Amino acid sequence: MENKHVLDQIPDYLDGTLDNETMKAVEDHLTNCMECQKELEEMRVLFKAFEEEKTTVPSDRLKAQFEEVLEQEKSLQGNVVHMTQDKKSSWANNILKVAASIALLVASFQMGSVFQQKKVDKEIALLKDETDHMKQTAMLSLMENQSASKRIQGVSYIEEFENPDEAIIQALANRLLNDENDNVRLTAFEALSKFTSSEKVKNVLIEALEKEKNPSIQVAIIQTLVQIQEKKAAEPMKRLLEQEDTQPFIKEQIKAVLPSIT
Amino acid sequence: MRKITFILIALFVGTVAKGQSDFKKSLSGIEWVKIESKTDITVKTHSSNELLIKSGPEIKTPDRAKGLKLVGAGGTDNTNVGFSVVQDGNTLIVYNLRKNKGAEIYLPKSQNIAIKSTWNGDIEVDGFSGEIEADAQLNGSVKITDVNGPVTANSLNGSLEVVFGTVTQDSPISLYSTNGAVDVSLPSNTPANLSLSTLNGNVYTDFDVKAEDRDGLKSLLGRNVKATINGGGVKISMKSTNGNMYLRKK
Repeated sequence: MENKHVLDQIPDYLDGTLDNETMKAVEDHLTNCMECQKELEEMRVLFKAFEEEKTTVPSDRLKAQFEEVLEQEKSLQGNVVHMTQDKKSSWANNILKVAASIALLVASFQMGSVFQQKKVDKEIALLKDETDHMKQTAMLSLMENQSASKRIQGVSYIEEFENPDEAIIQALANRLLNDENDNVRLTAFEALSKFTSSEKVKNVLIEALEKEKNPSIQVAIIQTLVQIQEKKAAEPMKRLLEQEDTQPFIKEQIKAVLPSIT
Repeated sequence: MRKITFILIALFVGTVAKGQSDFKKSLSGIEWVKIESKTDITVKTHSSNELLIKSGPEIKTPDRAKGLKLVGAGGTDNTNVGFSVVQDGNTLIVYNLRKNKGAEIYLPKSQNIAIKSTWNGDIEVDGFSGEIEADAQLNGSVKITDVNGPVTANSLNGSLEVVFGTVTQDSPISLYSTNGAVDVSLPSNTPANLSLSTLNGNVYTDFDVKAEDRDGLKSLLGRNVKATINGGGVKISMKSTNGNMYLRKK
């Protein structure tokens, strides 16, 4: 305790707000520590000065003077107000005011309608998004239906989409590559053949050419791949030429078009 | 001794008669009947809600096969008429194990049916209002008469003939053949969106349709005709790669 000064506790000590134990400790310390005693004295003087200081009240004379100046200022203000109420300028002013308020009204109306339009556009876009989403969900679920006719209906929904996303293309690719029904596969091919600019669609068509056994679909794929000049199609076509179960008319077709893409 | 022989003969005849009797199975809870066969299959309607397979009178099991069961790729004969019938969920799979002689199958009018002929069998379907899927994978032909659709049919080398009653409008019709002719008859007042295409064949019709040529260019898949009849309606897509196409008013 001896080495610990109690400077922090001194104000509380003077106010008498410390608990008994701390009070005793501070007193013990103060009897031994010159430095703290000095601080205590200074603090006591300062506290006394605070107590003795009286609140200054303005003298009566000052008050009277202030009132006088205030009156004077008021009367000057009154003059200014009077001058602005000049008849001629007020007429012109009013016209201007009316014009300004009309302008403001028109402008705010315009602004409002612009904002409203933006909001409506946004809502329409949102709504379109939602219907697109619903269409997509309907399309994807139809494509998984047990009935071939319903799957064809799902595939035909592609006409509703200008820019089908990855999920739709993938679903169509699954139909073309894996559906057990020939009619569904052919319909899926016809749907995909409209998006041959996509690299993924090209690859799916090439994969389908290797897998497909139905000659009608084979010949349709060959024609499409030749039309887009897909060089990667040459190898699978050559393999089809070598296979025994390839229909003769497919082989003729391949022989006719192969030179144009190799 | 004579008596015993007589009884034995009677028993034998009884067994043979049982072997040749028809097979019946209830169709409750069945949504689709899938039929697969290598031989001719004729499917007709009857009024009860059950599957009925008529074996036909001339079916005879070889003497050597006595006491044995017919076994094939589609399973074992569990019907005594040369068919394997197995239920898979809401689908009844009917597999014809014999490779010769056709069979007649009876189903209720509203049944959804999928029929596949994997060899030379011709498919004939008459009088159904449910959905019909027919696939003649090799040399068989398909003949579907007096149906309402939707119909999804496909043939490789055989012809494909469909005669519609009133066409249901809710789901597309798709009829494709590679080398066979596609011959379709519709009631003249059927509303439909038609798509007719052929690569090496010709299209003949008495409906009011004409080829749509874009800027004088031939379409990608050879002759491709798109048209609406009676104000447009259900999508009917017909295609034959090498055969002709006939679309008739009924």
